[in-house]
Amino acid sequence: MALEIRGLRVSYNIEGRGIEVVRGLDLDINKGECVGLVGESGCGKSTVGLAITRLIPERKGSITAGNILLGDKDVLTLGPDGLRDVRRSKVSYVFQDPFSSLNPVFTVYDQLKEALPDKRNADEIISGTLESVGLSGIIGNKKIYPHELSGGMQQRVMIAMAIMPNPGLLILDEPTTALDVTVQNQILDLVARLKDEMKLSVLFISHDLRTVFRISDRVFVMYAGKIVEKGLKQNISLKPGHPYTVGLMDSMPSFERRKQKFNAIEGRAPLFSELPKGCKFYPRCKFRVDDCALREPGMEIVSGEDHVSRCIRIKEIALDGISKS
Amino acid sequence: MELVKVNNLRKVFPKHKVTAVDGVSFSVNEGEVVGLVGESGCGKSTLGRSIIRLIHAEEGNVFYKGEDLLKLPRRKMRSMRRHLQMIFQDPYTSLDPRVRIGDILEEVFIIHENFSRGERRRKAEEALETVGLGASYLNRLPSDISGGERQRIGIARALATDPEFIICDEPVSSLDLSVQAQILNLLTDIQKRKNLAYLFISHDLGVIGAICDRVMVMNAGRLVETGTCENIFKDPKHEYTKRLLDAVR
Ligand SMILES: Nc1ncnc2c1ncn2[C@@H]1O[C@H](COP(=O)(O)OP(=O)(O)OP(=O)(O)O)[C@@H](O)[C@H]1O
Ligand code: SF4
Ligand SMILES: [Mg+2]
Repeated sequence: MALEIRGLRVSYNIEGRGIEVVRGLDLDINKGECVGLVGESGCGKSTVGLAITRLIPERKGSITAGNILLGDKDVLTLGPDGLRDVRRSKVSYVFQDPFSSLNPVFTVYDQLKEALPDKRNADEIISGTLESVGLSGIIGNKKIYPHELSGGMQQRVMIAMAIMPNPGLLILDEPTTALDVTVQNQILDLVARLKDEMKLSVLFISHDLRTVFRISDRVFVMYAGKIVEKGLKQNISLKPGHPYTVGLMDSMPSFERRKQKFNAIEGRAPLFSELPKGCKFYPRCKFRVDDCALREPGMEIVSGEDHVSRCIRIKEIALDGISKS
Repeated sequence: MELVKVNNLRKVFPKHKVTAVDGVSFSVNEGEVVGLVGESGCGKSTLGRSIIRLIHAEEGNVFYKGEDLLKLPRRKMRSMRRHLQMIFQDPYTSLDPRVRIGDILEEVFIIHENFSRGERRRKAEEALETVGLGASYLNRLPSDISGGERQRIGIARALATDPEFIICDEPVSSLDLSVQAQILNLLTDIQKRKNLAYLFISHDLGVIGAICDRVMVMNAGRLVETGTCENIFKDPKHEYTKRLLDAVR
């Protein structure tokens, strides 16, 4: 297994209080697999991504419980040297905004070189990597600056920097959100190809179901700091197992369902400081019954061991997925 | 009936030597929702802004009920704005974070009407009701509400003057799916109820396909294809349109 997270809890200091925003989260990624983590803004996705290499700023918050296993090591027990090694060569990140992730005052070449743990044969490795991310056009051009590249090309540079150390795990946090659809797809295709060629394990974080379904092997749906559904991509898209997932699907606008009223999920996500007691989706759920409010549901089987959902009514209610694609 | 007619509109940014809008012509009928799609940087927002003179276009005409907006004296244009409104992409920057929501909405009536204070307040409350928010929002600041609520305030402000034509520039692009769906429902409801005409700008073909009657596809400052939603989605003619459609399939 490339990554296994068990019972992860993270709190932030908000207005002088510690507020838990990741509330006992389990997630695992097999070697060479792409796992999508999807959920609405503020549900805690990025926090999970950051926790994996303990990048949550100390003053802002802390990991309070859980295990994060990378290979045979628990990241949460590592000392400074072990942690540095993990950050430098085992886990790489690509963030949403290529414009602010690249330093405008240094050349692209210098920043690529900086990202290499071992500078021997730097030119050769950089050329090879640029080639594989589809940037052969700038190979050998050591004078080019980030602003001279388009958003899509900048994101390719970020991906090049991320894969150069040959990491076991690549974490992409909303990597295409700032890009146009056609460019988005090129980047997704690139990630999919690199994943296969380099046998990369990938954690793909996004609020966008379309991109998550396009690239992931398995999907984890997150709501209010916890996983509420997980399963193979094709199982979830055809037969979703949680009312929240269905709500997200119904909110996706498309020509096929034109001029119908969107089946929008009513209300909005609860504040972490005022979470309801039982099922956290209860206030917004069309299928709720009184029992749902008693205690937070555990994971129930939807179809086979691998497709589970945190909903007590999953056996009684009929949910529809997206029939096309 | 034809409400807005844009004729051969051109906008050049001389400093960057780009022709952002390159001889664009089209019209929008009363009560019609017309979509404008294209990738970012293709000139969609510039076109929208030129139409209501938020930026100055070098050439062309914009007829509103037969009157050329681009030829109107400034003062006349200002009073004309009540009929043509705009909703912006970014609910974070389009509202002043330090001004209370009640005051933001009342300001609209100070500019456009001769209301008493009490009437203004009542009108502001009404505007909030229309977008599904209550009077409790009057005293809050834009920085203390969610993105979706902020976008509703932007919509309330645009609707407050009873316009007939609204340019919606990526009004849902920065929002989560569930909030996006709520806002699209709201915009469609109001459009039907008041028989408004929209020019709906988006790079998201899903959104366009879901709510528009007609679509115009823009690439590098020009309209490369226009047609009914049915025709464009089922039988695109232009290569660029096909490429955009493939991207969401
Ligand atoms: N540095 C911080 N200090 C205090 N609270 C924070 C901090 N960073 C995030 N939070 C809070 O923690 C919660 C989870 O945030 P997180 O960034 O993980 O969400 P997300 O799912 O990635 O959202 P988005 O899709 O908007 O990126 C939110 O309620 C957020 O307001
Ligand atoms: S447990 Fe009840 S409230 Fe929660 S998602 Fe299932 S049906 Fe809805
Ligand atoms: Mg995030």
